Amino acid sequence: MKALQPSRRDLLRLPAAAATLAPFVLSRQARAQQKTLKIAVWTHPVAGYDPWFEGVYANQWGERHDTRVTVDRFGSEQISAAASAEVKAGDGHDLFMFPWPPAVFHQHAIDHREVYEAVSYRHGNLPEFAHKSTFHPRTKQYFAFADSWTPAPLHFWQDLWAEANTPLGPSTYDTLRAGVRKIRLAHGVPCGLSLARGLESNITLQSILWGFRTGFQDVDGNVSINSSYMTIQALKYVKALYEDAKSPEALAWGPAGNVQAMLARKVSCTINGIGLLRTAEAQAPELASNILLRPPLLGPAGILGAPYVTSCWVVWNFARNKAGAKQFLVDLIDNSRMVFEKSQSSNFPTYQDTVPDLINRLAKDPNGGPFRKYWELKDALHWTRHLGYPGFTTPEVMEVFDTFVIPKMFASVVTGDLTPEDAARAAENQIKRIFDKWRPA
Amino acid sequence: MKTTLSIFTLLVLLLALAVVLPGQLKAQAAPVAANAFSFPHFNPAPFDFNDAFYTANGINVQQLDNPADGRFGLFRQTGPPARAGQLNWVFDRSNTDPDRNNVRILATTGGYIDDGTGAPTQFISLIAFLLNQQIFTGVADARGILMHDIIGNFEAYAALKQRQADGTFLTRPCRASQGITTNCFSVASVATPNLRQDWRFATNRTAADGSSGSPFGYFCDDILGAWIITYFYFTDQAVGPNATALCKGILSGLVGKNGASLDGTPIIKTADELNNDLEANGCGAEFQLDEAGGDGGAVWLICPAIPDPRNGGIAPDAFADVVLKPNGAPLDPQLSNNFNCLKFFGRLCNETPPPAPIL
Repeated sequence: MKALQPSRRDLLRLPAAAATLAPFVLSRQARAQQKTLKIAVWTHPVAGYDPWFEGVYANQWGERHDTRVTVDRFGSEQISAAASAEVKAGDGHDLFMFPWPPAVFHQHAIDHREVYEAVSYRHGNLPEFAHKSTFHPRTKQYFAFADSWTPAPLHFWQDLWAEANTPLGPSTYDTLRAGVRKIRLAHGVPCGLSLARGLESNITLQSILWGFRTGFQDVDGNVSINSSYMTIQALKYVKALYEDAKSPEALAWGPAGNVQAMLARKVSCTINGIGLLRTAEAQAPELASNILLRPPLLGPAGILGAPYVTSCWVVWNFARNKAGAKQFLVDLIDNSRMVFEKSQSSNFPTYQDTVPDLINRLAKDPNGGPFRKYWELKDALHWTRHLGYPGFTTPEVMEVFDTFVIPKMFASVVTGDLTPEDAARAAENQIKRIFDKWRPA
Repeated sequence: MKTTLSIFTLLVLLLALAVVLPGQLKAQAAPVAANAFSFPHFNPAPFDFNDAFYTANGINVQQLDNPADGRFGLFRQTGPPARAGQLNWVFDRSNTDPDRNNVRILATTGGYIDDGTGAPTQFISLIAFLLNQQIFTGVADARGILMHDIIGNFEAYAALKQRQADGTFLTRPCRASQGITTNCFSVASVATPNLRQDWRFATNRTAADGSSGSPFGYFCDDILGAWIITYFYFTDQAVGPNATALCKGILSGLVGKNGASLDGTPIIKTADELNNDLEANGCGAEFQLDEAGGDGGAVWLICPAIPDPRNGGIAPDAFADVVLKPNGAPLDPQLSNNFNCLKFFGRLCNETPPPAPIL
């Protein structure tokens, strides 16, 4: 059998044939070599943000970097489980966004220092809020990168509070209690501070603890929930508030239960990110104009509140496209103005120079109305403290957060299961166990 | 030598007081010439703000001008805190500040500065009590900020008497807004005769260094000099049959350090004493009144701190509104001494007078 031998004519034809087929062959190869960046984000509460982020921003970034970007979304209640599954599998997304500092996953994250450093060339030093939210003081590494955060003001129905002779809304915890009592008596509408196990209750009750000059750790990271009588005062306050005007449903709300109750006018006020108000503006603008905002309330420690969201991105140490993920974050900061706009003023930038006219934008918000309601957020950086304040946001702090120790402590008091003293003691014991677990002996 | 000089200084001081004081009682507007012991007088004495300025800063003037708010210039020219022969305010055409009117404030309340030192160096001009949110128009100032939001950052700490005329000691405030109306001490008035000790004023809060957490500064943003009143008191763990050994020990230590109030409880001069000694141990507590007016007392004050009480900031005819013991002596002599040094010499008592001119 004669072997197939190319003739001289065949050899001469080869370059021409190759030139004809080249575009098809190279295109297939290029597609095979195109990078992929897989991103997981939480479902943003402001309608319109996710379609922009996924459909526009991420795609455009991908085109610029010759990268196919995929975005998957999770509800806030699904995030921890989804992240845990990826960690267990050692595979998943390259970039995972959490609405709180994911310190518990610090062992599975790269050190994000170089991302912060790359950003600092263009936007200055890392603000303390982001530093204390994402730096692990024992490993000396940044377990996440915080690009933005969302303040958590008090939302209140202006007409109900005006009838209670408080048209500007409550500015102190004492007036809150007096006002909700009156509104409950007059209209049967209770107070809407969340007590159920969820993001909203964690934020609300943490803010109350800080307002009462207490918290579960001190500046050195020692457990301190039971060392100050102010915890007892805070527990007594919330119990009294509950007895005066609290909704029993508040103990059983699911995710965003307080938002739904507020939008349905079933409660007179609540603490939340402004996604609540933006939702109201989209669904019922005439009602939304009647919801106003206030900074956190004045308590013995002053005016302090927790952030509703600390937008923290993690590049897993098992990510396949670490370089792309890091570049995505650096570029995201350059686009903080778009993030602020598309989130409808919900995502405040970590680097303030990226939205230098933030206060003017709040003042001129088209839905601000005669009260210029969004202007109330102009000082949010002054009154917002990072989770873990006054210490760092360590893994043990976030496990306390993730396991709802604080909401459970308050709930046990308002339901009468425990006295404030016993509840504080029980919480302290539980928190100490968590802290001991994470800390080297 | 030092002792001799001190005695000499004291004698001259007393002589100066003896010369000046009778004049003060007769004609309150009589100026005092600067002398070798004085700082030069160039700071203006305090006047009330004019109506346009109040309006521009979101205050409902009509509400301010009612008897309950008791705005000086309209009400209370005599009577407490003025004693016999004193006036709380006078009409005076010497004002040159376009934001103020011709009502010069003489009633000057003293207190402790809130910078941690507890120094008795703060002096405020009484103008009006604000009883509920109707006092605010809801109209923002020229910068777009509500005065209500600004005031909420600046606390004046009031210490109402808890010991009643019959000697009983009450450990909870009367607050109708929270359903507490019996077996409680009154919050109806912060007039000085109702106080167990002098005030503490958070004039030091500033946004500049971020240390106070306040986005505003008292002297730069709170241009009405207004305050939210934070009332503080001793709980039943501190005083009475339920008092704990811990609180008893803390109170005893504070009395030794600061002296006793008219109630016999310690004088509290600093945030650290209130926050960390008392409240953290359950011995003390603080609160604000219902902004709707449901508790019946003053929620806010328009009583601007005198930015620099030296160099004439305290007028020669002003008088000190300080807490007095039953015998008429000031509870804290340092406070009234400082007031008198400012009034007569334009300086605090511990400040060095300018060098004598070389003859």
